[in-house]
Amino acid sequence: MNITLKNVSFSYTDSLDDAVIKDLNLEIRSGQCVILAGESGCGKTTISKLINGLIPHYHSGTISGDILLGEKNTADITLAEISRYVGSVFQNPRSQFFNIDTDSEIAFGCENLAMPREEILQRVDRIVDEFHLQKLMGRNIFHLSGGEKQKIACASVAATMPEIFVLDEPSANLDLKTIAELKEIIARWKKAGKTVVVVEHRIHYLREIADRICYVKDGRIAYEWTPAELEAKGAEYAASLGLRCVNLKKIGDARLRGHDKKSVIASGAKQSLHESIVFTDLQFAYNRKFPILNIPSFTLPRNQITALIGHNGAGKSTLAQVLCKKSDAYLIMQDVNHQLFTESVLEEVLLGMRPQNEKTALEILAGLNLEQYAYEHPMALSGGQKQRVAIGSGVSSGRDIVIFDEPTSGLDYRQMLAVSATLQKLATSGKTLLVITHDPEFILNCCSNIIHLEHGKIAEQYPLQGHQEKLIETMLDE
Amino acid sequence: MKLDPRTKLFLAVVANSVILSAPLVYGALMFAVPAILLLLERKWRFVLVFFSVYLAAALGFEHLKTMDVGRVGTLGVSTMMIISRMMPIGIVLYYVMQTTKVNEFLAAMARIHVPTKLTIPLTVMIRFFPTVFDEARAIGHAMRMRGIRLFSLHTLKNPFSILEYRLVPLLVSITKIGDELSIAAVTRGLSPETKRTCVATIGFHVQDVIVFMYCLIVTGSFVIASHETAKQSFVDFLSALFC
Repeated sequence: MNITLKNVSFSYTDSLDDAVIKDLNLEIRSGQCVILAGESGCGKTTISKLINGLIPHYHSGTISGDILLGEKNTADITLAEISRYVGSVFQNPRSQFFNIDTDSEIAFGCENLAMPREEILQRVDRIVDEFHLQKLMGRNIFHLSGGEKQKIACASVAATMPEIFVLDEPSANLDLKTIAELKEIIARWKKAGKTVVVVEHRIHYLREIADRICYVKDGRIAYEWTPAELEAKGAEYAASLGLRCVNLKKIGDARLRGHDKKSVIASGAKQSLHESIVFTDLQFAYNRKFPILNIPSFTLPRNQITALIGHNGAGKSTLAQVLCKKSDAYLIMQDVNHQLFTESVLEEVLLGMRPQNEKTALEILAGLNLEQYAYEHPMALSGGQKQRVAIGSGVSSGRDIVIFDEPTSGLDYRQMLAVSATLQKLATSGKTLLVITHDPEFILNCCSNIIHLEHGKIAEQYPLQGHQEKLIETMLDE
Repeated sequence: MKLDPRTKLFLAVVANSVILSAPLVYGALMFAVPAILLLLERKWRFVLVFFSVYLAAALGFEHLKTMDVGRVGTLGVSTMMIISRMMPIGIVLYYVMQTTKVNEFLAAMARIHVPTKLTIPLTVMIRFFPTVFDEARAIGHAMRMRGIRLFSLHTLKNPFSILEYRLVPLLVSITKIGDELSIAAVTRGLSPETKRTCVATIGFHVQDVIVFMYCLIVTGSFVIASHETAKQSFVDFLSALFC
């Protein structure tokens, strides 16, 4: 089924003056896989909502132009009918389920299409086979990992067999192994002749599948390439547009040579502070027979950034929690919304401070480029700013070790660099950082040590310097 | 053991009205139903904690309600009363939320011809509460890490701050989640206008009949008993009038 957007403009407000999408023309042929890339806020997610009918049927605003699915104009048909043709997968695996158990979720779309019961059961069986979901059947959604949830989301959308799939940053919360599974799913859809639209700035996993990449800027398609064309332009070029690495296998090459020099100097300076924090006997178990975490001893190099890698369920988050309990480590959560409580940014920083000193608090905020927001409500800030407020409250609590849980998930290249810079500044100011992450680009950018966790034990620990290739291999194997 | 969603709805309505209006004995009898059902679901710890708190509050209230306990004591006794009245309602709702699948509920409501305009929002509620608890847990964790405890010098000085710290992030995240859940539902074709089928099999079995009968017997005996006392007090009233 072809997707045609003809002279489409859209604004979330009453007038088209502040339009998010401006006079957009886009045609996606049946059976193509197209990536909509671009920096945060460029309008790429809005385009996906135009295709799956959430605009104009769910989000209100002003729209002009036509969006056609095949011959049908989305403005003329209901969302329920659009859902027959378009299946949507969203970024947040936590909230894209309507049911509480996996079986019902896969059947849900078919039920809404009023298919006969026997046919639905057959389809569910077939989908379970196709997606290898046997182990996940009959499970409570709340007990699944992020990757498992995303798999169920894809499967349940596929069950209604729509002609078009729209995925909005589906890889944002996944590790590289799960991303590889996602890649297989998308490849299978394409092979079956479906049209696939993926909104994404991590392009590497779609390199072999995508027919073209549309780069969105200011609500228009600014550039179009095939993945090969983009790769040929070089990593520097992609980075300058805010795109993440196109080919992970070549990640050690061009883009990082520049950084290498810097980090050699930086780590040289750090060598003088050669010192480590030693933890002993870190254990955790829900059940004595099956310890989740069993680490007799491990060392954290002081005033440096250490990356904690390992596949989902290896015990990374558990290690972070145990460290928080045992030492005075401070954890910056993946969802920072959970840890901002007060009415103003300044108060947030003062909350954990003993004794409270407004001047010092303002200095901390200035260090994080937040001084102009000191009296704003934390919830009114952008995601990156919120993260920095959370960091500020960690700094003000006077703790030496700061742990980050996936600080760069879902970020584009520029935002990732900003987070790296903040973390580096923090390390130079005398904090010891441990970062749980699945993001190889980020690690290569600012971390100096790697701890690889496997089955609740430390599999390996090594400095990044000179081991870049090994790191990439480990992460791809995961 | 699986109950039909309609039985659960009946249980919730009957149990709540009996618990709120009848003496404690009947409340305890109604309390037993969801407690047993939850035990069958292996929620041992939940039932144990709930039941002990309930028993302590209920017995405490029965024992102290006629005594003169002073002003502070009255506050305590009324808290006990509120706990002994509200907890059974909590446990019934917990049971319904825990064990009812979204699509079973939709099917059951369609069977008794409740319009979908009403049932779809109700289903969102079933899905919504566990999500809220999940969020609240994460927020509690964050608070402990920052050294904000439920009982500390700081919270004693500003008792409302704890409410604020808990509620602000919770409200922000649940409004977002509510929105995302509705989007998930509409893009999957859930709509009040279209007809839908249901894979889940619902229907009445022996256990449903037992629960129905039990509820009716308890309610019936309460009605008869209160009728008796009403008659008795009327006779007392008349004799007092004429003697």
